[in-house]
Amino acid sequence: MAASIAPECNDIKEKYDTCFLKWYSRYLRGNGQSNDCDELFSKYKTCLHKSLKEKGIDSMLDDARKSSSETDAEFLKKS
Amino acid sequence: MKVFSSTCTFDYSWDEVSTANWRKYCPWNDKATHVVGVDTLSRTVDPKTGILRTERLITCDQSVPQWVISLFGGSPTSHVYEVSYVDPVSKKVTMCSTNLTWSNVLNVRETVVYRPSPLSPNATTEFTQEAQITALCGGWQKIKNKVEEASVERFRENAKRGREGFETVLEMSRRVFGEQRDLEKQLQ
Repeated sequence: MAASIAPECNDIKEKYDTCFLKWYSRYLRGNGQSNDCDELFSKYKTCLHKSLKEKGIDSMLDDARKSSSETDAEFLKKS
Repeated sequence: MKVFSSTCTFDYSWDEVSTANWRKYCPWNDKATHVVGVDTLSRTVDPKTGILRTERLITCDQSVPQWVISLFGGSPTSHVYEVSYVDPVSKKVTMCSTNLTWSNVLNVRETVVYRPSPLSPNATTEFTQEAQITALCGGWQKIKNKVEEASVERFRENAKRGREGFETVLEMSRRVFGEQRDLEKQLQ
């Protein structure tokens, strides 16, 4: 897996990514209801958000998110 | 605005491609050393459609030509915001990316789609990529054109390398997955 932009989050990120890949293979088979990775993800996000704020990336992301509603409308529907 | 598009077919099933896609920028991919970070920002399954929506932050080094850095200043590190949608029922992955850095100079919007290839849907996957590149810097049209052309050229080079690198990741994923399966069988 690729590294995190915040080296201090690498350990928790790796644990989360591994958990997610296992979940993903179940999800593809229609068994994605479980939330086993939620706790790891929440720890990883806490670590990451601190770094994004420090680096000033969080405000860039807020701007970019404004336009994601267009792609949501297009791709978040049944095809 | 300039548009870059490309298509190709991978000799792997859609399940394999869509899984390996999450590890596209791992150390197995020696063609993507410019990607220094991939962080997941959010991830949800839409309760109505079952579509998995993921937001990621991709961080790259040296993604723009040196002369662009000289002209507009800034650092060689750049960030890309990506939203992806996986529909496991219709078997479709759509990834929409936009640049966060240089966004006052250049707007790059890329859409990538992975779908089972119509000719052999169980064994091959079709990849399509389209990027719209718009230079926003005020002033001479000549400079805008030059920036757009250089960006398209950079896109073309990266697309080729991206394909080669992803082939390696697919091959490694299949091998490792096969080994894991064998190991599990032995342990049973």
